[in-house]
Amino acid sequence: MLRFRLLAATAALALATGIAGAQELVIGADVDAGTLDPRLARDTTAYRSVNLIYSGLVHLTPELEPVPDLAESWESPDPKTIVFTLREGLKFSDGSALTAEDVVFTFETILNPDFSAPQRGLFTPIESVEAVDERTVRFNLASPYAPLLSYLDMGIVPSDYDGDLSTDPVGAGPMVLSNWNRGSEIVLSASDSYWAGAPEVKELTLRIVGDNAARAQAFEAGDLDVIQSPLSPGDIKRLAADDSYNSNLSAGLGVTYLNMNTNNPLLADPATRRAFAMLVDQSTIVDAIYEGVDEVANSIILPSSWAYDASIAQPTFDPEGAKAAFAELGWSDSDGDGVLDRDGQKLSVTLATHSEDPNRIQAVEFLQATMQQAGIDAQVQISDWPSFSTGYVQKGEHEIALLGWLNIVDPDRLTYNQLTTGAGLNWGGYSNEEVDKLLEEGRTALDQEARKAAYQKAAAIIAEEVPYYIISYQGYHLFYKKDMPADVTANPRGTFRGMIGMPG
Amino acid sequence: MTAYVIRRLLLFVPMAIGIVVVTFCLLLLIPGDPAAVLLGQEATPEAIATLRRTLGLDQPAYIQLFIYFGNILQGDLGQSIFQNAPVSEIILGRIGATLELAIVALTMSAAIGITLGVIAAMRPGGIVDASAMLLAQLGISMPVYWLALLLMLAFAVMLGWLPAIGRGEPLVSAFGMALAGNPAPLLDSLSHIALPAASLAVNSAAIISRLVRASMLEVLNEDFVRTARAKGVRRRQVIWNHALRNALLPVISVIGLRFGALLGGAILTETIFAWPGLGQLTIAAISQRDLPLIQGIVLTFAMIFATVTLIVDLLYAVVDPRIRLK
Amino acid sequence: MADTQLRARRFRLPKRLRNAALLIGAAISSTIILLAIFAPFLATHDLAAMDMVNRFSGPSFEHLLGTDNFGRDIWSRLIYGARISLTIAIIAVTCSAIIGTIVGLVSGYFGGWIDLLLMRLTDIFLGFPPLLLVLAVVAVLGPGLFNVAASLVVVSWTEYARVVRSTTLSLREQNYVQAARALGASPWRILLREILPNSLGPITVLASLGLGTAIVWESALSFLGFGLPPPAPTWGWSLSYGTRFIRDEPWLSVVSGAAIMITVLGFNLLGDGLRDVLDPRHKTRG
Repeated sequence: MLRFRLLAATAALALATGIAGAQELVIGADVDAGTLDPRLARDTTAYRSVNLIYSGLVHLTPELEPVPDLAESWESPDPKTIVFTLREGLKFSDGSALTAEDVVFTFETILNPDFSAPQRGLFTPIESVEAVDERTVRFNLASPYAPLLSYLDMGIVPSDYDGDLSTDPVGAGPMVLSNWNRGSEIVLSASDSYWAGAPEVKELTLRIVGDNAARAQAFEAGDLDVIQSPLSPGDIKRLAADDSYNSNLSAGLGVTYLNMNTNNPLLADPATRRAFAMLVDQSTIVDAIYEGVDEVANSIILPSSWAYDASIAQPTFDPEGAKAAFAELGWSDSDGDGVLDRDGQKLSVTLATHSEDPNRIQAVEFLQATMQQAGIDAQVQISDWPSFSTGYVQKGEHEIALLGWLNIVDPDRLTYNQLTTGAGLNWGGYSNEEVDKLLEEGRTALDQEARKAAYQKAAAIIAEEVPYYIISYQGYHLFYKKDMPADVTANPRGTFRGMIGMPG
Repeated sequence: MTAYVIRRLLLFVPMAIGIVVVTFCLLLLIPGDPAAVLLGQEATPEAIATLRRTLGLDQPAYIQLFIYFGNILQGDLGQSIFQNAPVSEIILGRIGATLELAIVALTMSAAIGITLGVIAAMRPGGIVDASAMLLAQLGISMPVYWLALLLMLAFAVMLGWLPAIGRGEPLVSAFGMALAGNPAPLLDSLSHIALPAASLAVNSAAIISRLVRASMLEVLNEDFVRTARAKGVRRRQVIWNHALRNALLPVISVIGLRFGALLGGAILTETIFAWPGLGQLTIAAISQRDLPLIQGIVLTFAMIFATVTLIVDLLYAVVDPRIRLK
Repeated sequence: MADTQLRARRFRLPKRLRNAALLIGAAISSTIILLAIFAPFLATHDLAAMDMVNRFSGPSFEHLLGTDNFGRDIWSRLIYGARISLTIAIIAVTCSAIIGTIVGLVSGYFGGWIDLLLMRLTDIFLGFPPLLLVLAVVAVLGPGLFNVAASLVVVSWTEYARVVRSTTLSLREQNYVQAARALGASPWRILLREILPNSLGPITVLASLGLGTAIVWESALSFLGFGLPPPAPTWGWSLSYGTRFIRDEPWLSVVSGAAIMITVLGFNLLGDGLRDVLDPRHKTRG
């Protein structure tokens, strides 16, 4: 295509003045980072930026396998202890040495409740962290905690830093912050203090474009070199079919699911929840609304996980079966108004989701139509994220809510805090002793086979009792221009190390 | 005049207090907890409670309001919950982009509006007039966000002439560089601002064109214009030299008021074009329930609005001696 | 303030076009209103009936305007959407006009501290960026037909208040009002019998222009996700969904965007036409 661009002059000039374009990368992001302190990071852009500015003890590969980063090795003398040995001569970007003290400081602050670290819940099984010597750190656990290694990519921060890490970050990662224009862009440049050497890409700009469609358009207009999920399904399909870009479509680490409130009298009975689940037309939602970029789910375990079992089955779409199930529960259309009723009560249910994600709104609208056809008085409630999440679902006021979980690097992360009795994220009040026991076992068991068995058993019960109905496994989609400055390794977590010439 | 200005400035005080109180009440009633939003889905209820205490959100509403007023009196707009920086600093960092967008849009709309209005007024009732006014009607009836998306689709994606999103160097500094012999940043900045400013300007251009036309017609009927024509001054000259100057008087006031409307309209436009100004910040602040930031933004908008209204009224009094400021 | 005096000279159509504008405006507006009223008879399909196989089909005999992202009939949803848009707009405009008129009459007639107080109150509402205020009110009330209408009232009553106040100020000094007052008529009687009827012209004009504005506002709210929840066939939702598919399936957003635009155009033309006929300050002039 022949393009006349006012920008052409800029580009020519940039080359002339030596601002080499080849080593630069502009990546589109959907939100601005809230902070650049890894301990406080809570949004995807913050995770991805701190992943470059800082380094953790381990690095998580695209297969989610923890490999050495700042730590050169580790061992477990007993199930409740892990000892890490740091690499020699580690340095923060301000030149100060990174020692065991900094590791201790990082995790002690995270565990301090007053510090309000969003991910504190992932680390609470840690009883204490101690510096054995300059290069040796010991983690003492209250009980064996298998998923811990997957979370130890948490960036290590300097213990004796005067500035504010959230705005003036200092880490030991491959890049440093050179400019942060709030709400607009984060500019990172290569660090020469990273233990593995400076990355090939010298400057990486994260440009924030909130609207998914606008971000895709900006990519096609050449303003962005890389874009990735979340994207509109239509854009994904079009870009994937376009040969002028490179793409990577793979399984992500998120699920879209229905949270059924088991504390609600209507939904307290697993049989009722199953009957509702039979009205979820997963394949149409995935194929038509998500245009096939996500995958139909069969259980709470991700297909990319070592614990996956394809034979576990949630209830599948079966309107007739749902009708029969509701009839068995005493619901029938006794007054002939087309809506099922029992003891003079109409069968009403509220489906809720948040207004920021058009696909979720469409999914809910579609579910409502299916349910209405089955004789259920289904209502839809859409509000913005704070009202929906903090003001509604997290208070347990919902009936059936459609939402998602991300970053499921270990089966524990989608189950333990969500579905054990009384756990902090168990908004629907689900309680099953058997599941509690299995999930405890899954997190404490020592070898992976035992963990796998526990999670598969728990997943089977959850699929049967449906406190969660997993609609789809989210896909991860990455598009990038042909002439990238470095080889690209996609990471389902959406991190960028694999784009600046480092191991993904 | 000075007395008038002082009186107007004093009037802003009750307005500002009212705005703060109204905003505060609205924010109090909106469901959603900033502490919980901040900590994300994986935060436990205990963690949320701790953070609420730290942020002072567990205090009774009237105490929070009291503290807020106390801080304002000391010139402190508070700390943004999400950005971990002073509200005033965040707003100052953004306000330039929004003012730049609004001023460029205003200039565009005034230029288009006045031209269109004058052309239409030359032959009232003619085909040119009718089509110009139909165009204006369409401009007023067009939903701004739809227009914005269509413009982006056409000029950025299909034609590839202009960047779809973002902002270049601030125009002022880009001008400086251009004067110093480096025109590239200026071209870049102009290409970035073109689409957002255009989509923002259409509505105002339409309104201004109708006003200019009406005002022109009125002036063209007045005695001094008739006299000029009778004396044999050419029509074209009459329109440009005599009529337009007088016809523009009422337009000044409306152009000023449009500035307020443009600032408001920027909320949608900035979101679509990823323009890093106050509008985008507004949506973000609301969607995070960043209470101090929302308060600060509302106050800022109100202050700009009040200032612009005052300037317009003063300007009008200067230009038109018939108006007396009371 | 200077700007209130200016409103009167805002815009006038040339004589020849005046009737045309009024006619076209009235024709468009009444067509939309009739479509909305008779929607149940004119709809060809069930609004909620989804057909996921035939999504985004173009216009055909089966579907006059094609189908949307759920394979639903666009024509049927469009005319039912007119009902919602118009209902919201009419409620919002009526309430704004009533509230604004009362405030304007009281403020303009009694003057003094009442005037001062009420005008400061309107200043507060004018000081907000309107979109922000609307969003906040809807967020507080929750989405719903009356709540959306209420949020629009919050931003639009001030215009009526200011216009009616300035009309009242000038009418108050008119001879016939002075005479009524001298004869001992109560203030309320004067307001209702003498001043209100003479203010109806500008109020009607503002109202018909306000209908158009309300429709745009409602669609913007839906676009931002704060409108009526689905499956309500609001134009804003259709346009919002449509823009998601604008690259590959532009039809949906074209149809709903055009529906909004034509309707608003109709009410604006009607408003302009009415202004020339009704606004008393225009009667005597060219």
